[in-house]
Amino acid sequence: MNNLSEFLKRNFHLFLFVILQILCIIMISKSVRYTSFAISNICQTIVSPINEAWYNVVRHFSLEKENEQLVLQNIELLNERDNAFVIQDDSVYTAYQQEDSLGLKKMRLYDYSYANIVYKTTDKTHNYIIIDKGRAEGITTDMAVMSANGVCGVVSDVTEHFASVISILHPDARISAKLLPANQIGTVLWDGINARYAQLYDIPQHVPVDVGDTVITSGFSNIFPNNVLVGIVSDVEDSGHSSFLTIKIRLATNFSNINTVYLIRNIYTSEINELKSNFKDDE
Amino acid sequence: MNNVTANILRFFLVIIAQIFVLNYIHLFGCVNAYLYLLALLMLPFEVPRWIQYIIGFVTGFIIDMFTMTYGIHASACTLMMFIRPYLVIALNGRKTDNVTDKPMPGIKEFRWLLAYTVILVFAHQLEAVMLETFTFRHFWKTILVIIGNTVFSSLVILCCEYIFVPVKKHN
Repeated sequence: MNNLSEFLKRNFHLFLFVILQILCIIMISKSVRYTSFAISNICQTIVSPINEAWYNVVRHFSLEKENEQLVLQNIELLNERDNAFVIQDDSVYTAYQQEDSLGLKKMRLYDYSYANIVYKTTDKTHNYIIIDKGRAEGITTDMAVMSANGVCGVVSDVTEHFASVISILHPDARISAKLLPANQIGTVLWDGINARYAQLYDIPQHVPVDVGDTVITSGFSNIFPNNVLVGIVSDVEDSGHSSFLTIKIRLATNFSNINTVYLIRNIYTSEINELKSNFKDDE
Repeated sequence: MNNVTANILRFFLVIIAQIFVLNYIHLFGCVNAYLYLLALLMLPFEVPRWIQYIIGFVTGFIIDMFTMTYGIHASACTLMMFIRPYLVIALNGRKTDNVTDKPMPGIKEFRWLLAYTVILVFAHQLEAVMLETFTFRHFWKTILVIIGNTVFSSLVILCCEYIFVPVKKHN
């Protein structure tokens, strides 16, 4: 008896080792088999808040990559939007035709790509944006530029690797816009005062306009596709001495915090311009 | 007493570093550094063996909680603590171990520490990686991961030891 207790005492650590290893093996086998393993549940309630708090810090390091992926995904989605196409019921056309789920023949009219902003101004009277893509990436003048929220501007100058954009915050930028739900065409211009607001002109007085109505692009300029958000009506002013209303709109794009813009190319610009050059000028 | 607080402090620092920094570092996609083994490697020899096993088990289990590999690191750490006394006897050879014997730079020479660290980390990794993959299908890849983990972990552990442990020169 004395010998046995002596033996146990001497080899206690050995028994403990075996017990601990068996405990581990049980845990491993259980955690592999069952998803609702009791120990894992208890541990997760302790560990999860810590892991979450730390992950909130760590994920900032990968935000740039994530953002890039989102931009690429946005391009894909924008390219699938209805306003990138012209619907043609006629089956005679074959070039650039795609058939969608409804069996409609569609012709692609607009093509989207993206660029990063390298320089921008918002507080001047003539505001420009410079983007990091140029002729080498297929950028041409008069391409439309939009942000994730809405209309941004139009490409004015192109060099080999950069391009400058006239933003809406520029007196030369005129955007053909449509007021919804009144369905009235007007022109958006910036008055040079506040970078968050612009004016919508050429809406007749009889048109019912409410604060909160949306203003979208009309698609008649052949630069912007239709249905791109320009802004929201924030104030309606009846000047009295003219037959048109002056409507103040809050721009959808906040120019102070954009970093990535989407470029919209009209595939048939040259053809449309060729036709336009044959117009008889009034002057 | 000072010795105990130093050990506890080291233990927590190393585990925090492991959980919050080193678990996010994957060299070549699969090679990790396990710095937390430093706390176990630098445990004094005079601690009773069964307490060493429990410390190893608890340390491994804390790491397991954060990586959701319940039991794997606990098992490997316990095994490491089991091997450790025998390895120390083997490495010390005929020399008797006195109370001042500690696995620290300054007390032990570099070659001793290198062998001690690499062998123990290898034993730990051998069990941990084998249990984690639990298949011989990608055998050579598993072996490569074990070797990579051992080299990377030993490097980090030895660097930390030599950087943070003050070496007293006795002459």
